[in-house]
Amino acid sequence: MKLPNKKGKFGIFGGKFAPETLMEPLAQLEKTYKEIVKSKTFQQELNIYLKVYAGRPTPLYFAKNFSERIGVKIYLKREDMAFTGAHKINNTIGQVLLAKYMGKTRVIAETGAGQHGVATSTAAALFGLKCDVYMGEIDIKRQALNVYRMKLLGANVKAVSSGTKTLKDAMNEAMRDWIATFENTHYVIGSVAGPHPYPMIVRDFQVIIGKETKKQILKIEKKLPDYLVACVGGGSNSIGLFYPFENDKNVKFIGVEGGGKGLDTDLHSATLCKGSPGILHGSLSYVLQNHDGQIHPTHSVSAGLDYPGVGPEHSFYKETGRAQYFEATDQDVLKAFHFLSETEGIIPALESSHAVAWVINNKEIFKPADIIIINLSGRGDKDVQEVANIEEGNL
Amino acid sequence: MKIKDKFIELKKQGKKALIVYLTAGFPDMKFTEDFIVEIEKSGVDIIEIGIPFSDPIADGPILQYTSQISLEHGTNLKDIFSLCERLKTKISIPYILMGYYNPIYQSGLDNFAQNCSLAGVSGVIVADLPLEEEGPLKKSLKNYGIDLVSFLTFTTSERRKEKILKSSSGFIYYISLAGVTGPRETLPDRLKNDLKKIKEDSVTPIAVGFGISNVSQIKEIKDYADGIIIGSFVMKQIIDNKIEELKNILVSFREALNG
Repeated sequence: MKLPNKKGKFGIFGGKFAPETLMEPLAQLEKTYKEIVKSKTFQQELNIYLKVYAGRPTPLYFAKNFSERIGVKIYLKREDMAFTGAHKINNTIGQVLLAKYMGKTRVIAETGAGQHGVATSTAAALFGLKCDVYMGEIDIKRQALNVYRMKLLGANVKAVSSGTKTLKDAMNEAMRDWIATFENTHYVIGSVAGPHPYPMIVRDFQVIIGKETKKQILKIEKKLPDYLVACVGGGSNSIGLFYPFENDKNVKFIGVEGGGKGLDTDLHSATLCKGSPGILHGSLSYVLQNHDGQIHPTHSVSAGLDYPGVGPEHSFYKETGRAQYFEATDQDVLKAFHFLSETEGIIPALESSHAVAWVINNKEIFKPADIIIINLSGRGDKDVQEVANIEEGNL
Repeated sequence: MKIKDKFIELKKQGKKALIVYLTAGFPDMKFTEDFIVEIEKSGVDIIEIGIPFSDPIADGPILQYTSQISLEHGTNLKDIFSLCERLKTKISIPYILMGYYNPIYQSGLDNFAQNCSLAGVSGVIVADLPLEEEGPLKKSLKNYGIDLVSFLTFTTSERRKEKILKSSSGFIYYISLAGVTGPRETLPDRLKNDLKKIKEDSVTPIAVGFGISNVSQIKEIKDYADGIIIGSFVMKQIIDNKIEELKNILVSFREALNG
């Protein structure tokens, strides 16, 4: 059966745990989505923008040097080459175009690393909508470059000083905004999280990653890969890659979460590895929480993974065993960041470096004939200053 | 006391309900307890005891702040149930719990319902638990005769409205405006008409919340509802330590609701 079901559930996960005021806007969104997005007109327009504006399809690149070092065939899905530098643009062009079709004049977004904020600002500029982006104060500091990019694109970046001052609270603030402004505003959620229909909508706009990958690998290798590896924060790039391979049972799905300072500490964001089912931001999914059901603060070297929740479809994949979830620590991630830069000339985003780190750390489990595809979900330009700060004390 | 009986009693007296929300544990549990006892005397009819949550998406800055401080002091459901246990003999008006779903879900729904029952809690309100998801909790609460109060607002579709009117017990929490909790100077123009329509369809009492902060608002809407809910405004006075003023204001609200 195709998931989510009518109630927005993936098994027990997902659903619509939203304040009453948002129930009708969510129902409207679902209805419009089904009518408009599946229509030929919308799809044609979307595909043109994805092709000539966002630069799709992105290449599937055989990483020869990396492969030789590990002893297997490694391909990189180059989402870092999508316009604005990450896979986030796939979703924002789709959702902002949808907002325009719905007659909305303004979009809002939450952002962690700033990639989704930049991608939303970009699409808003393109389609002529006003744009406000909520971003935690801590993330504003560590992703200063992206903050300025958003401003250049005409968006208004709103600093969030409540709670943990990172992605979780940016999302709280964006939801609070939407509760008051839904009549003229569309909330562009950046991950496969939030109340139904968001996890479905965002997935559907991201499956282009996996669809292209499947076509590309079959053309190059004449067979399917053995592993798909992607980082998981909220989980949009990974679902986008995994989903078209869902029924290809021999393709293993590996999601890599933010291991932070290690899973034996509290300083990580490994929601699926260490969390338990709970309700956050409108859906039932794995969350990092204490015994009283209060959401835990998280830590990750990458702002984009620094989130205590995860998309409900991932929780479903975990429970059914369709995907396996691991973590990579900050330290291993920084090594992977350098490794890929030096071996392939590709500076990966710290988020995507988690997937690279997992492959490096697990080379003994692969067979020589294995084909591994890593989703290189974003480029690392935005992280250069932050990495320099970490490694040199300051730039 | 049952919520239903409270509304019947008020109706007989020709009065509307004054419902006050307090974040449990702000600034500390002792204050919450003492203050509840005192405001029963000011004529408050129902107390909503707020369970603090780390991510209150329907709340404005005031209740975010009080929740955060309360959590920093370590407030949890266990503390709140012991407060309720003590209230059993200290007050005679109904008290209900209000919060977000995750802390309730984590405590186990049956366990939560049983604890509510033992502590004399009359009803429960959950900000992020709409009709579509309320089934399991409703079932557990029903076993103990505890009300699950549902929300309605102007965006609610006709079809859902009918179902919610059927499902809600105790009263209906009518959200006055589009937005999060927090005091506003005025209420939306459409509110009176919206309430008039709901009143015609509902056998369950309607209480209006969000944004209420002054007597003129109360006078404007009281004929179209069975009660009003005041939360952020009250907590703001407590944050500012204007406790005596607040008690006087509550008396003036009480009078405005009397007739």
